[in-house]
Amino acid sequence: MTRMRSFFIVIATLLFLPLMSGCEDFLNVNDNPNAPGSTNLGLRHKFPAALLSTAIQESDQMNIIGGFWGGYWGTNSDGSNQYYDLKTYNGPSIRNQRDGIPVWEESFNNLLYYELIKSEADEKNDLFYSGAAKIMQGWHFLRLVDFYNNIPFDDALQGTSNPTPSYEDGEQVYRKSIDLISLGIEEVKTSANLSGGREDDILFEGNRVMWARFGNTIKLRALIRQSETGNDSYIQTEIDKIMAEGSGFLSEGETVTVNPGYSSSQPNNFYTKFYRDQGGSTTSVHHYIRPTEFLIEQYQTRNDPRIRQLYIAIDGEFNGVIFGNENTSDPRYHPENTSAFLGPEENGHRPAGIFKSPEQPNILFSSFESLFLQAEAAERGWISESADRLYKSAILESFRQTEIDESLLDEYLNQESVIYQTAPDKIERIIGQKWLALNSISNIEAWNDYRRLGWPEFPNSAASGIGQNERPLRFMYPESERSTNNENASKQGNDEMTVSPVWWDQ
Amino acid sequence: MFKMSKSQLSLALGVLLLFSLNVNSFAQTISGTVKEADTGLPLTGATLTVEGTVTGTTTDGEGWFELSASPGDVILVSYIGFTTERFTVQPDQKLYEISMVQDRFLLSEVVVTGALGLERPSREMGGSAEIVRSAELNRGRTINPLTGLQGKVSGLRINVFDSKVDPEIRIRLRGTRSLTRISSNSMDGRDPNDPIYVVDGMPVPSISRLNPNDVESITVLKGANAAALYGSEGVNGAIMITTKSGYPGQSEVNFSHTTTFSNVYMLPPRQTTYGQGNDGVYSPTQYESWGPAFDGSMRDFGLPLPDGTRPQIRYAAPSHDVRKDLFNTGVNSQNDISFAGGSENSTYFLSAQYVTQKGIIPEDTNDRVNLRFNGTRAFGNLDTKYNINFVNNRKDITPDGPWVGAYQYPANFNHNLIRDWENPDSPGNPHNYFTSARSWYRNPYFMIDNIRNESSENIINGLVELNYNFTDWFSAIYRIGLFSSSENYRNFTRKFEAEGTRNVDGSLTDGTSSYSKLNSDLILRFSQNFGRVSTNLLLGQNVRSDYRKRTSLGTDQLLYPDVLNPDSRSGNLDGSVTIQEFRSMAVYGELTTGFDDYLYLTLTGRNDWVSTLSPDNRSYFYPGVSLSLILTDAIPQLRDFRPLSFAKLYGSWNKTGNVTLSPYQLNNSYTQNNGFPYDGLTGFYPGLSNPNPNIKPEFVTSWEVGLETSFFDHRLHLGATYVYSDSDGQIFDASTSRATGYNSALVNAGRMTNDIIELNLSGDIIRNQNLQWNAGFNFAYTYNVVRELYEGLQIRQNFRQSFIVLGEQFPSLMVSDYKRDPQGRVVVGENGDPVKAIDNTLLGTLVPPYTMGINSRFHYKGFSVNAQFDWRMGGWFYSEVIPRMYTAGTHPETARYNREPFIWPNSVIEVEEGVYVENKDRYTSGGGKAFWSAQGAAPSDFLKLRELAISYSLPASWLIDSPFREVKVGIVGTNLFMITHPDNDFADPEYMYNQTDGYVSFRHIPPMRNFGFNIHMKF
Repeated sequence: MTRMRSFFIVIATLLFLPLMSGCEDFLNVNDNPNAPGSTNLGLRHKFPAALLSTAIQESDQMNIIGGFWGGYWGTNSDGSNQYYDLKTYNGPSIRNQRDGIPVWEESFNNLLYYELIKSEADEKNDLFYSGAAKIMQGWHFLRLVDFYNNIPFDDALQGTSNPTPSYEDGEQVYRKSIDLISLGIEEVKTSANLSGGREDDILFEGNRVMWARFGNTIKLRALIRQSETGNDSYIQTEIDKIMAEGSGFLSEGETVTVNPGYSSSQPNNFYTKFYRDQGGSTTSVHHYIRPTEFLIEQYQTRNDPRIRQLYIAIDGEFNGVIFGNENTSDPRYHPENTSAFLGPEENGHRPAGIFKSPEQPNILFSSFESLFLQAEAAERGWISESADRLYKSAILESFRQTEIDESLLDEYLNQESVIYQTAPDKIERIIGQKWLALNSISNIEAWNDYRRLGWPEFPNSAASGIGQNERPLRFMYPESERSTNNENASKQGNDEMTVSPVWWDQ
Repeated sequence: MFKMSKSQLSLALGVLLLFSLNVNSFAQTISGTVKEADTGLPLTGATLTVEGTVTGTTTDGEGWFELSASPGDVILVSYIGFTTERFTVQPDQKLYEISMVQDRFLLSEVVVTGALGLERPSREMGGSAEIVRSAELNRGRTINPLTGLQGKVSGLRINVFDSKVDPEIRIRLRGTRSLTRISSNSMDGRDPNDPIYVVDGMPVPSISRLNPNDVESITVLKGANAAALYGSEGVNGAIMITTKSGYPGQSEVNFSHTTTFSNVYMLPPRQTTYGQGNDGVYSPTQYESWGPAFDGSMRDFGLPLPDGTRPQIRYAAPSHDVRKDLFNTGVNSQNDISFAGGSENSTYFLSAQYVTQKGIIPEDTNDRVNLRFNGTRAFGNLDTKYNINFVNNRKDITPDGPWVGAYQYPANFNHNLIRDWENPDSPGNPHNYFTSARSWYRNPYFMIDNIRNESSENIINGLVELNYNFTDWFSAIYRIGLFSSSENYRNFTRKFEAEGTRNVDGSLTDGTSSYSKLNSDLILRFSQNFGRVSTNLLLGQNVRSDYRKRTSLGTDQLLYPDVLNPDSRSGNLDGSVTIQEFRSMAVYGELTTGFDDYLYLTLTGRNDWVSTLSPDNRSYFYPGVSLSLILTDAIPQLRDFRPLSFAKLYGSWNKTGNVTLSPYQLNNSYTQNNGFPYDGLTGFYPGLSNPNPNIKPEFVTSWEVGLETSFFDHRLHLGATYVYSDSDGQIFDASTSRATGYNSALVNAGRMTNDIIELNLSGDIIRNQNLQWNAGFNFAYTYNVVRELYEGLQIRQNFRQSFIVLGEQFPSLMVSDYKRDPQGRVVVGENGDPVKAIDNTLLGTLVPPYTMGINSRFHYKGFSVNAQFDWRMGGWFYSEVIPRMYTAGTHPETARYNREPFIWPNSVIEVEEGVYVENKDRYTSGGGKAFWSAQGAAPSDFLKLRELAISYSLPASWLIDSPFREVKVGIVGTNLFMITHPDNDFADPEYMYNQTDGYVSFRHIPPMRNFGFNIHMKF
């Protein structure tokens, strides 16, 4: 009987083995050995990734939308069925989950990267990363409102705690974003200054003043955007706060660029998409995209020297195309008869206006855009600076960007079509020059300015079925949002692309 | 008054006695053999009884019996698992040969391999189970045992969705319970809706490489109810396989050879009116068919050749379908040999199989060697069992390319012209090939020779089992098994330097993937009878450990066409390594109490601990209860009701926990992207699926109730079952609003229910000594509904056109359809072209709710004919081939209206909102390429003749002086014909792509039918 009992004890032990502590170790094999998790990686490994993602969205997705909707680009006859949704202002197609243009999705993913950085920085009390992440989040929220008007803000980025975030008015989000950037600037300024700089900060290498200037200029852009809304006193108050903060705006030579370490074996994505791929062959995008006839005309009526550095002349002439043109038989718009982008390969291996080398950085915010914004602010009386000086300075910066000799500036500036002092509508003059300077660098701002002010008056898409006065005013809420958060999206009213303007488009 | 004297009385009595004795005294000894009808194997231990008496005997090891009986006596022959035979003793017949037919379709008295590989009487089981025995399984001589199961078990839906040499196969038992799709990096290749496969009590990830001839029987335990003791993996049911072992006194050698040929059929229809070109103008270098109508002339084709000539082609409708020239007749040959035997204490079974396959795509080959040794040995109270199986599979195929161009090429294309691609003067050489279009449109023969996937896989699968009987009421089993597979593969594209798009970059990927699973079970069994109550208690403990490692190394810049080595490259080497580990432990118990052998109550409980959940959530418990009542034993009125030979009522309720998670899904892993690292600067991005460390297991609650009956001495079987299953709190990667930052979140959400009805009917239509005809029918109807998803989620895309839609069956087909009026007529717009609807249209479910199998077995002396039909209805499918055929101009619809503008048939114009008027005069904007666009959806109903097997066993008398004990020859065919829905004339609706039902990829090659012969000999 004792044999039986001891036998039973053995059996019971075997059976209840899993309940013993040893089994916990046996089962603890769920840590991923294949990739690092958040705790293995420091913030310095995550920060450059987020910054590059923003830069890529700006130089690729934003430039394409703005290129076509800002009056800069069209396609030649070979590309007549490319970018068809943009040419026909097809809102439902553009919001399609599979084949559309995912501005909402990409922007919120980028916002997530900064949110995770912000949370980790809060835990570690790292003010630099916390502040920089806030500034970048402000950037993205402002962009989102420009596309979608009302979007979630307070409820956003909370994962499963808030799976169906409610939306807030575009104007409200603008204010909160500006406040967020202000907070970010404060944090960056009070953060520790690392003596060796920060290698992972691929924008400013840790330079806190530059971050402050960048933040201020983003705020300036957002405030100028509201010029037609009658919020003048709010704008003035905010600008005064910026002046009081003291760091100022981005000025000459302070174009904000992103360069993670581009090299000939790892070239810049903008260069390899719009100009030449890694093997050196012309890309299909380079083959299809051409400047519009309107753009060429604007350069030529101003005897603008920059045009030579931007496009390839055909028999000494610069020939553009019509945006949305569906007629493929007209030889004037064939690829070989229209002017493609100029790059080092066609320029004797010297950098051209937009395409300089495979190692060139992505431009996030150009110095000349900042100067033009300041010029407009000065003209509207919001800052006490000389609008004329800022205007000239901006154009000079653009000349430098396009590798034009500075000695040609004065002659250019003295032309009646360019001169500032005697311009009939000074703000129109600023916007006109700003439009020429931002060509293929920050195209999306051209669309924004057109919606805001109606300048310059570039022609509408020539695609069939587009009404004379039918212009794209916004993006529709994406399919991904309609299928997961429809109740909130539906509360925002009409979101048709050519019908419903965003809040600052008055 | 008639008065009998005493002596007369005694005389009368004597005569009477004599007469009664007469019956007996005329009794003779009859003898003979009792054999199994299917296999011809003698049945040992069959019982023969003279009806109405207690005289009887049993057959010996050779199936031989001797019995004393008189002419006119009816002899009953019975054997467990077989339908009882009767015959009448004839006056001058002494020798009888009785053939017994397996009671295959329902389990009345048989012993079933239940959960854990333990045999139990089926009368005890409260859940549905069906057995398919070896002969049944192998009737079609299939190479993969799963294909042999098709259509034979109700509620078991098998899809063979490939016609390549090593086709992919998918199984579903009783519908689907999980919304999750498998990720391509799953550890063992199993899909969350797959049943568990168990071979000799050991769970294995896949049985597609098992030799079907090694299989003694397959028991299908349907539904979670029947597989509760297997834990989470058994939630979808279990396929329990028992391999052959020898038996004492046996010593036999079996050899069989099968050769089958495969031919492609059911190619999508094509137009034969228009040839290659653009806008009605002929172009020798265009592959799309938008040229002029065929006119019979000879025309230039392709480019001028280097030797100055120009290939010519006849521009006329071809005499046959030229696409068929691309395919070969596939040849599959299987050779099996096995040795089985045993003595009093030990048995053995040794088998070897060699299979070679040549596919219907030229140069595709697959070879397989399969070796097995099963042995048992008894040492007193200790029984030991050891099985080991080794498989080596070598495959050399070209991935999907060659067919993709074929259905887009012009109808008069001449495959012979381009076969030789190596010769620089040939029109097949890539420099001269008629079209410069890249990827799929290149010369198919060039692709076959230059783009290949080679792989070699070794699998070792073995187990050791020890069974010790401590006392007559207590025994313990310990079983440990290992499944290990290791695969080496090499996928390459040879470099070919040419101009522009004709250039082919050389690329090479070498990889390995190794997987091992170790499973150990300790089971204690106690049984005790207390008067009329019998009890059986089973307690067990299980430990399991899985490991997978994948490595790959490659380059896409090879330098030379004939040096296939990653070293011979320019640029960087790409590679990756992935490791996955999973472990689990469990304790379980089952208590079965029986009352008087007709009422059984079973209680089960199991607690699992798994590594893929966080320590707080990793333990979960789930119970089950089932009841089985043998009506014919319980109710005396039924017992005496002659026509009803057996009736069992059963029911069960189960709650099973399931963890459909891959390892490491609880943490968010960061990866480098967008080109990082740049020259030393690293940048990591988080995954965009929000992980959830607190995720809990999901639970499937199901109950079933059923009735199994047989009538007329087990001649007619009828079974019916109703099942309800509810999967709640599913572990689900739910799409979320992107405003949360993440694209999706791992949550416990989602609920799906299944209502299922299953019916089985089978019977012996004719049953006598020489002629038997048995037919069977099984039917299942599954009503599946997605009841809940996550928060605001209404629809989630599963894959391309397959969607998860709240309130509908899973998965649903949604396509971009034309705008239609309430009567379904297409609305045309101002330009006469049909208008596209803004929202996608839900067409229906991709999984057919009605599945049926019909089989017929006919047996006359040594000759048998067996047929198996498979019938499915109510679902839809989508083919990506059709839209491509429209774009290429090869689809017949594009030629229907002479490529001119036409009035869209049965169309309407919306004159104002909601008001529709018949369209009589608006022509379309064109009839050429720019106009056409198409969808490729159609109802997926089909009826297939899955198997037809005709065989003949040589009569025993012919074999008397030969070494052969049995010789059987036969012809066999599978997938011989298919009837599809009238709207579907273009594809096999059974196909699946990327784990999505009802989806025919543009790369899928058309289905094939197989037919061949086999010969089987026993020594």
